Amino acid sequence: MSDMSNLETDGVYIATDGLSYDYNGVTAVSKVGITVAKGQIVALIGANGAGKSTTVKMIAGALKPRTGRVLFGGRDITGMPAHKVVQQGIALVPESRLVFRHLTVLENLQIAGHLPRSRDRMKDSYDHVFQLFPRLYERRAQHAGSLSGGEQQMLAIARGLMTLPDVLILDEPSLGLSPLFVGEIFKMIRKLNQEGMTILLVEQNVHHTLAIADRAYVLEKGRVVRSDTGRAMLADDAVKKAYLGMD
Amino acid sequence: MLFLQTLVNGLALGGLYALAAVGFSLVFGVLGIVNLTHGIFLVAGSYGALLLWEHLGIDPILSIPPVAIVLFGVGYVYQRTIIHWAVSRASLVASLVVTFGVAMIIRNLLQLWFGPDIRTITPSYSFSSVTFFDLRIDLVRLIALGMSLVVLLLLTALLRHTHFGRSIRATAQQPLAASLCGLDVERLYAKTFGLGAALAGASGAIIGIVQPFSPATEAGWTLNAFIVVVLGGIGSPAGALLGGVLLGLINTLTAQYIAPSMTNAAMFLVLVAMLLFRPHGLLGNAMGESR
Repeated sequence: MSDMSNLETDGVYIATDGLSYDYNGVTAVSKVGITVAKGQIVALIGANGAGKSTTVKMIAGALKPRTGRVLFGGRDITGMPAHKVVQQGIALVPESRLVFRHLTVLENLQIAGHLPRSRDRMKDSYDHVFQLFPRLYERRAQHAGSLSGGEQQMLAIARGLMTLPDVLILDEPSLGLSPLFVGEIFKMIRKLNQEGMTILLVEQNVHHTLAIADRAYVLEKGRVVRSDTGRAMLADDAVKKAYLGMD
Repeated sequence: MLFLQTLVNGLALGGLYALAAVGFSLVFGVLGIVNLTHGIFLVAGSYGALLLWEHLGIDPILSIPPVAIVLFGVGYVYQRTIIHWAVSRASLVASLVVTFGVAMIIRNLLQLWFGPDIRTITPSYSFSSVTFFDLRIDLVRLIALGMSLVVLLLLTALLRHTHFGRSIRATAQQPLAASLCGLDVERLYAKTFGLGAALAGASGAIIGIVQPFSPATEAGWTLNAFIVVVLGGIGSPAGALLGGVLLGLINTLTAQYIAPSMTNAAMFLVLVAMLLFRPHGLLGNAMGESR
């Protein structure tokens, strides 16, 4: 399941090879290899505990892999700490949002926009995220903790965008949101992609996800068990049965 | 009139307590560490001011910046080494034991260097006082109160309006998200610890002109800081000010109307009552997420 052969291919942003991780001896991720090409939406799907979040945390530097490599634009960034990875151009919007609850919406954005790579274009970044999420502009002076779940998700994504990433990783952005918000979030993901943003999407909402993904990887017990285009997977009976609850 | 005079004394004392506690409060709120070395930093500030006064004739108020800068460095290195090792290899609780041990070692070293005698710093204005109507207040107490308020206001502005301050608050609430936003969390922890030590040193320099000190007084100041945080709430200058003023008032009122020997008993009574009824302090945890 090695993707190393693709690494020299032009336009490959992220490539992982043989990534493994364990929590106190229990294997969470085993030899995962995925590639994300420029301009794509790539999806990681699978059940709870399949190792999706662990994988993207290793890519973003929030966890150090036990074995394996992470390449970004051909450069080895394995084991680089999170605050340096984001400076390279990979932004992870973490699971369950983790907004700074006691800071205002504006302060949340300010912190992320202060990176060396993004600081000079902070004003444009504000314009961009407020145009994407007008609601955040209305609430800019409010504490992030007072926002609804959907608004906090918007803030978390906006915070990621303030770092002006080349690749945006979204970990379960639709988790716990009302169906109305879920639709909005997916519409927004697609819009960002059309503007040129490369996206790595971790999701449990398989139907919505496969519909917009250029490529998808299915994780099971820490391993990649399938990879294909989103469209092909959506048509696949086995995937339908396992993840969409359809017979 | 006696009552008013007692109130004024209590307020002046409270300002000192607030400044003496705010560094402890910041470190507690951001790193989750109960720093039992805090009183040592404070007493070290007093001795630093004493040395500068005796050898170079520098006024204790002017010695605040150099003392604070040196202690910032000491606190920074202390966190990056001993505290970091203890927390990363064991747990936050381990830092309690480690800081207690370091406090004992340094207290004894201070006793070796400076002797166990009680010292004071006495600049020319030490024995003047100011009178408003019938209320009298020592000039040094007035200066100390003023300086405490100035430092607390500066700290508030720093936390609220600078990138460094925002980063400290963000890291206190969500270390993981902070690092994903590009903040070097480990370095921010060290800087916050350094800031806490610098504030302790600054208050030590001020306390040197108001109250006698010796190496052994450090434990009392750590305890005071703990009580101030329990009363006022964790992590904010406002909480420290509220807690400090309350503690100052409790102290002077008890000494005046009950008995001077009962001040510690009154402090602990209030401490226990607060822990029972409002364990997060009057203003809660300004840094957010409870640990």
